[in-house]
Amino acid sequence: MMRVDLSNMAMLDDFGLLESYGFKLLPYKLAASEDEAALAARKMGYPVALKVVSEEISHKSDIGGVKVKIRDEAALRLAYKEIMDNVKGHVADGILVQKMARKGIELIIGGKKDPQFGHMIVLGLGGIYVEIFRDVTARICPVTDDDVKEMVEELKSHPLLEGARGARPIDMKALRGMVLGVCRFIMKEDITEMDLNPVIFDENGGDIVDVRFTR
Amino acid sequence: MDERLKKLAYVFKPRSVAIVGGSPVPNKIGNVLMKNFIDGRFMGKIYAVNPKYTEVLGVPCYPRVTDIPKLVDCVIIATPAETVPGIIEDCGKKGAKGVIVLSGGFEEVNRNDLADRVKELSVQYKLPIIGPNCLGVFNPYTRVDSIFLPMYKLQRPGPGNIAFVTQSGAVGSTVVDLAAHYGMGISKFISYGNGTALNECDMLEFLEKDEETEIIILYLEGVKDGRRLLGWMKKVNVKKPIIAMKAGKYGKAMAAARSHTGNIAGNYMAYKAAFRQAKVTEADSLEELFDFVKIFDQPLPKGNRVAVITNGGGMGVLTADAINDQGMEIADYSEASKEALKKILPSYGSVGNPLDLVADAGVDAYEKAIAVMMADQNIDSLAIVVLTQTPPIDERIIGVLTQACDERKKPIVTISVGGEYTEAYKRALESKGVPSYGSPLAAVKALRRLSDYAMWKRKLK
Repeated sequence: MMRVDLSNMAMLDDFGLLESYGFKLLPYKLAASEDEAALAARKMGYPVALKVVSEEISHKSDIGGVKVKIRDEAALRLAYKEIMDNVKGHVADGILVQKMARKGIELIIGGKKDPQFGHMIVLGLGGIYVEIFRDVTARICPVTDDDVKEMVEELKSHPLLEGARGARPIDMKALRGMVLGVCRFIMKEDITEMDLNPVIFDENGGDIVDVRFTR
Repeated sequence: MDERLKKLAYVFKPRSVAIVGGSPVPNKIGNVLMKNFIDGRFMGKIYAVNPKYTEVLGVPCYPRVTDIPKLVDCVIIATPAETVPGIIEDCGKKGAKGVIVLSGGFEEVNRNDLADRVKELSVQYKLPIIGPNCLGVFNPYTRVDSIFLPMYKLQRPGPGNIAFVTQSGAVGSTVVDLAAHYGMGISKFISYGNGTALNECDMLEFLEKDEETEIIILYLEGVKDGRRLLGWMKKVNVKKPIIAMKAGKYGKAMAAARSHTGNIAGNYMAYKAAFRQAKVTEADSLEELFDFVKIFDQPLPKGNRVAVITNGGGMGVLTADAINDQGMEIADYSEASKEALKKILPSYGSVGNPLDLVADAGVDAYEKAIAVMMADQNIDSLAIVVLTQTPPIDERIIGVLTQACDERKKPIVTISVGGEYTEAYKRALESKGVPSYGSPLAAVKALRRLSDYAMWKRKLK
């Protein structure tokens, strides 16, 4: 299982592969110094997260190697110093600056290869409760725009996506594009299993927060 | 089309059959088969093949298929698995048009060597082979009947337009029995068992062109080539609605799923996805299978607006609940209909949907109300509740409902809930082709499926 974790240098190839299929992951930049980090954050816009990049450290947040929801440059400089303090004694390749995901509805877009039907795509309510609510629907790849539309309508959480309680409907065009993208990706690269989970959608688009796939 | 599928027609309409293993010994499978054809009044020639006899139940018997002096169209084999390849070879040499292998003892017990041989021979002699490990076929039009369960224990349905394709013989036979019990007619029953030479996809391809078939029931356990199945379901469902049921939904999830997707999306999810993509109607139980299949014989509705007629307020309310629950709409009658309906009701009644004719209502009130609603452009389908227990309702209601159905203007579901008397009434309706349900929810669920199918067909145009 590949988890495209940018704080692991070896994963950057997969990141590139995903980008070549049109998946836009959140903007990121590997910084070697506090000033570089500040510059990168200014370019991508706040809020951002900082994450230590190191082959040695597996549970980065446990030792204080991750800081999230950083809102301005003063906070960023402070966070940078704290992380460097926390990881003292480990070999670090630098610090990853990544834009924080938008707030919105967490979805899962997944793919897998079924032994009888071949590649199939799954769409559902994402996040940590995926396997509890199991509000998911599937189609055999390739899918059409109409298929994606029907998938959205089949979800129990469909009203949330359409904008319940005064919220605006999520960006359906972006969602459709991402579903079609996963279909193309898993078929062309012959992927066995894939998760984009969560992908956070609001009315202006969707942010892929975490990607995993297995060939 | 595969040469073999063209020949498959002979399996359902053979000029002659040979039963390999045909036997005079009561209760042997070979004996049941002989009786199926003799007592069932099969119209073609019958031969038995069994080295032990020269005659079985008055039918000439030969040691081998190749010994039969005249032509043989369909050969039914019910002898041990080891003997089957040799017999199929004889069938090929004899120039038989098709073979049904009832015997088990092939893939299902890991005798892939025997299964491979069956497959090879099928290709070599261009022989359609149904089975092995199955009940074979039943065609009520020609009385070809390889269901080796005696007729006194398992009823055979009469002729109709529903083809029933099943992997499982056990489920298949009970559905056949129930269909006969409900007076539902079938065009063909095909139990294809292991599907070694021909499988569900071939059967769909065959049925697509079969003149007697208008609706198809597909009962699946597992398939080898899901993509091919999806392709055929898509193609055939447009012409002939398919009602599918998948057994074995909760098999082990992916052996070593490492993602959420792998964990959630078991193999059944792929089937479900394929059914949805092909717009095939999926039944979750045998009850639903019957509930759904009978409504597909009705004309397609133009929309979701349902009118309810009842002679009991409470049942009307339950039906309205079911309509809302299933995402259908309660129809709004036209002004002209409201006026016309007012005249049918007693002075204290009021026009509404559900239309409560009240318990005093006789058959005439139903007839008039149905006529008004059939003409109303604001109504797409009718749900007719009949409490058969009320004094004024007599058997003439069957004629009224049958006629309303036969006009084929709008789909109708009828709902009657009750004991022995009501059940007999419902069976009478069913035998006339009027869909009858024992609960409002079951009826409206079925209506919803028909409505979904109709909507999809409209979109295609």
